[in-house]
Amino acid sequence: MALHPPIIWIALLTLISQQYAAATELWVSPADVKILRPEASQQILLFGMAADGRQIDLTRKARYQSLDTEVVVISPTGRIQPIGNGQTSIMIEHGERQLELPVHIAGFAAPPPVSFAHDLVPILSKSGCNSGGCHGKAEGQNGFKLSVFGFDASLDYDALTKEGRGRRVSTAAARESLFLKKAAGQLPHGGGVKMHSGTSWFRLFERWIEEGANFTDDAANAVVAIEVEPREIMIEPEESQQLRVTAIDGAGNRRCVTAEAEYLSNADQIAGASRSGLISVAGVPGEAAILVRYMGQVAVCRLTLPQKTVKFPRPPENNFVDRHVWDKLEGLGITPSEISEDAAFLRRVYLDTIGSLPTPKEAEQFLISDSPAKRAELIQSLLSRDEYAAYWAMRWSDILRVDKDRILPEGAVAITRWLKRQLQENTPFDEFARQIITSQGNTLSEGPAAFYHAHDKAEEMARSISQLFLGIRIECAECHHHPFEKWGQADYYALAGFFSGVSKKPAANGGQKIFVQPGADLPHPRTSEPVLTAGLGAEPAAFEGVRDRREVLAKWVTDVENPFFARAIVNRLWAHYLGRGLFEPIDDQRDTNPATNEPLLEALAQHLIDLKFDIKAFTATLLNSQVYQLSAKPNESNARDEQNFSHATWKALPAEVLLDAISQATDVPEEFNGWPVGYRAIEIWDSQMPSYFFRIFGRPVRATVCECERGNEPSIAQALHLMNSPESVRKIRHRDGRASQLAASSLEPSEIVRKLYLAVLARFPTELEANLMLQAFEESQGNRRQAAEDILWTLLNTKEFVYNH
Amino acid sequence: MLDFLFPARNQRYCDGVNRRDALRIGGSGLVGGLTLPRLLEMQATAETAKPARAKSCIMLFLEGGPSHIDMWDLKPDAPAEIRGPYQPISTNVPGTQISNILPHCSKIADKYAIMRTHSHGDGGHQTGRHWVLTGYPPPFADGQATAIPFNELYPSIGSIVSRELGPRGAVPPYIEMPNPLGPGGPGFYGASFAPFTIETDPVQPDFEVRDLNIAKGIDQRRFEFRRRLLAEAEKLGTGERATGRAKTMATYYEKALSLVTSPEAKKAFQIDAESPETRERYGYSSIGQCALLARRLVEAGGRFIGIDHGSWDTHYDNFTAHEKALVPPTDLAFSALVTDLEERGMLDDTLVVMLGEMGRTPKINNDAGRDHWSACQTVLFAGGGTKPGVVIGKSDKTASYPLTTPYGISDLLRTIFSLMGIDSEQIYETPLGRPVPIVNGGKVIDELLV
Repeated sequence: MALHPPIIWIALLTLISQQYAAATELWVSPADVKILRPEASQQILLFGMAADGRQIDLTRKARYQSLDTEVVVISPTGRIQPIGNGQTSIMIEHGERQLELPVHIAGFAAPPPVSFAHDLVPILSKSGCNSGGCHGKAEGQNGFKLSVFGFDASLDYDALTKEGRGRRVSTAAARESLFLKKAAGQLPHGGGVKMHSGTSWFRLFERWIEEGANFTDDAANAVVAIEVEPREIMIEPEESQQLRVTAIDGAGNRRCVTAEAEYLSNADQIAGASRSGLISVAGVPGEAAILVRYMGQVAVCRLTLPQKTVKFPRPPENNFVDRHVWDKLEGLGITPSEISEDAAFLRRVYLDTIGSLPTPKEAEQFLISDSPAKRAELIQSLLSRDEYAAYWAMRWSDILRVDKDRILPEGAVAITRWLKRQLQENTPFDEFARQIITSQGNTLSEGPAAFYHAHDKAEEMARSISQLFLGIRIECAECHHHPFEKWGQADYYALAGFFSGVSKKPAANGGQKIFVQPGADLPHPRTSEPVLTAGLGAEPAAFEGVRDRREVLAKWVTDVENPFFARAIVNRLWAHYLGRGLFEPIDDQRDTNPATNEPLLEALAQHLIDLKFDIKAFTATLLNSQVYQLSAKPNESNARDEQNFSHATWKALPAEVLLDAISQATDVPEEFNGWPVGYRAIEIWDSQMPSYFFRIFGRPVRATVCECERGNEPSIAQALHLMNSPESVRKIRHRDGRASQLAASSLEPSEIVRKLYLAVLARFPTELEANLMLQAFEESQGNRRQAAEDILWTLLNTKEFVYNH
Repeated sequence: MLDFLFPARNQRYCDGVNRRDALRIGGSGLVGGLTLPRLLEMQATAETAKPARAKSCIMLFLEGGPSHIDMWDLKPDAPAEIRGPYQPISTNVPGTQISNILPHCSKIADKYAIMRTHSHGDGGHQTGRHWVLTGYPPPFADGQATAIPFNELYPSIGSIVSRELGPRGAVPPYIEMPNPLGPGGPGFYGASFAPFTIETDPVQPDFEVRDLNIAKGIDQRRFEFRRRLLAEAEKLGTGERATGRAKTMATYYEKALSLVTSPEAKKAFQIDAESPETRERYGYSSIGQCALLARRLVEAGGRFIGIDHGSWDTHYDNFTAHEKALVPPTDLAFSALVTDLEERGMLDDTLVVMLGEMGRTPKINNDAGRDHWSACQTVLFAGGGTKPGVVIGKSDKTASYPLTTPYGISDLLRTIFSLMGIDSEQIYETPLGRPVPIVNGGKVIDELLV
């Protein structure tokens, strides 16, 4: 009796409509099984339906029985392995229901020959043999070197069959092959046992050796796609889901590679996947993507873990940002926090936008104003301030590698000035990018040319530009196929070809002169054939009548049709203001690293394009949204949510901003050795200036274009420094400092407390807080300065001050 | 089973401990809430651990991978491209030979054990270090971790010791120097079990632990007042609701405050309180003065002191690096530390371990260097219940593979925990409910124990 799923389905649907709660039907995928060679296996999936009508995985909950164990066996996990030629069935039993799955086994008499490239390399990958920590690393391991992740099968073939004095593979006595003995642990192997003798993988290698250890050029059999089932699931805590992966070759043949594929979760806190493709979830609501990789092909299973709550009343929307976030939260059953109070918004928007605290006067004015539009007005005024340009010049310097030891102090000044000007003038972002990409001239005169001083080779320039402006990390593809993405070496050298004309010569004043020559397509490192220069995933570029190849690149990058450019910059800005990117890392955009809110990301990118890449206008949209203005105080429903923007997050202040904030709050400027007094930390262009403060609070060294260089982890050293360092003590006690000024004034103690709260925390104290702080005046027995210092010390050491929230 | 170790799924906090339950147990002794059955239950759990032999552990971590075949496991009969230029010399233990570049250690071989069959399968620096110091293979590829510490999930050995044993005196239980160990962090255990990192090198003449002393002009009373004011202000403000890193910072403030207010702690960090002779004895080198400071910290109650000593990755010119720069200060530091601990009667309950994340290739490469080799390494143990004066295990004739039982990372960690009286079978759940045993697999190395 062979049942076909569609028929089951119809029966099932009829049943559900009649008797909803009792409907626990079964269906199996695939509907029938054909295995065509002895070493293959087939994972099956068994589905049922939960009481709420959701499809659930029963693969590991059923009983399986092979009707002929001379033909097949099946494990409790639903993996079928062939034993001999023939036809039989597997009986599946779950609860009171039964299914019969027909199985057809062939290929035992004359199995198709083993393909080294398509059958064995994936096993080397899955076993970790060719990983970067083992034989895949540049120097190999113990004299045996494989191509990392198996990107070069012919190299691996040579390594196995020709190197090592031919001992690795012995066609005369397959079992005596060094490779098999080591892999099976029969000889000591630093990597441990990788394939137990007798397992299907072991037998496949064995058969390949017996067949003569050939390398057949069978490119037509290459895997052209993989499919994962299921591709999308709703899942609940404590549940699991087995995946089934099918590889499809050039001829359209399909086979199960569930055991050989590799699995990786993009959100470990929500879901993980085992080696055998079993997804398990922990119980944190949210979404995750399980990446499946096999032979350079990738597929994704997306899962959603909704939270069961009562529907929340949908908050009002200020703009489209709110609509997309509320949509998402509704789907997940997460209630957003309240809108933040004025004081919290005030401090947050100052620190985020201009890297500075509001002055006490600014704070007071904003807090007492009853203008209904005061938030929008504040946003507008902040975006036009000089500190906006200074702060964002610092942030861009971090990732444009403005390191004075590399590009000379004059070079650092030159590019910093240029950055400031662009930010002040609000140069449209496409133009900003174009100017950087095509920069040339003297690296010491105002302009972005120093960026090229910091890069040596065309390849290096290509990967920096890709990471900066496309949000794509292609450095992996320099040596091998990107493990989690479609980019391969050809794409990498195609992009690098745009920079092949960039040349440098020394300039008179010690800097460099960047100029362009015609350039040429770069050779592929394996084949040495020139690779046609092209943008990532784009048609080959045309250079007729173009002197600078980079002009063509800049045009492709900044084109409104470019699929990466706008998404990359909006994600960067989103991450800055909201504390977490829509995809993370913020410069690692790929199909296999999906955004947590794709409609939002798409809408943001379109919005920036509609605004003609006006960054300030775009920022105003973000800051005016309800989402940006939510409170950091979580509610019961969203306390564990970290990726859907249901509440504001506590962000670490960048080292420079924190130091400036301390100077501002104490009203004592920091004096930087060799710099004029009054320079703010965010204006210091010298990332190498020795500073214990900057070091422990994570200032980046600017050696890469990665924003991740900036450290934001707390430490005991930071706590000790803030509360006890001679530097902070000096600022608190300074005779011209804030505590001293207030103590010398005629203000009442309660007024002093109020001023200190405004200066340090940009808010008024509550009544309880005011009363608490007045104790300092009692404690000091009339010594007003001592009391003011104690209060100032206290406020500077609150987490409310040290963090942005 | 202690239920605060296994909280109900919906009541987890970010360090895996349910705070209410922890408080209930911690505080119940005072209010008489600890019932007899519960007490018995707790004792029953504790009994699976052997009684502690070592109260503290000092780990000298030779980062980059020391050359076992040039130091502790010489092969004079191997071909020249393997054996290298050094000769085995006799030690004060008949039959035990080590390299001629270790003269100081050769004189005290009766005080430590040489284990020549440590073996694991990871040839990367970051990944190997992660594995050795946490007991778990890392969830990232070698060279891919950028933040320090890079053990985001699995706790390091020091953090485990810190959690299981807690402080024994004024100084924090887990201290590392003179910079953070890459995978030295607390992982999912959370900030409470993070190391205190001394980020300056005690060999520097002006060495001091920064920001430890209350500023001049602020007396004890005033500092205490500020401390109280801060605690109250945090309660009234938004600080109490802080999440993520800001919440972690709160824990660090508590730790920082307890350091600042303890004279004993501050005294322990004062390496210049040692006589010039003693400092000379350990050698004026980074590893020498770190070892000396480690001894002071153990005296003050430190539980796990991790010393990071770098630059052992000798792909080029292995021999000059070893005999000139790396081995002499290490030879002196290790022998001085062990002898000094013994003279002070501290060696019996202080475990000293010296290892790297890997050994080096027996075959010398074309640059007169040795490359990564993790299949066969030598680890040194002294004190804390380990057998002195023995050689454990034997490697093959090129020091490439163990001939006798290979001991893996799990074996090593189980042994260290067992000596410290820690039940390494215990399982903690990550904030997401994944159970993580302190050590996964492995056996205590019986032949190493007294």
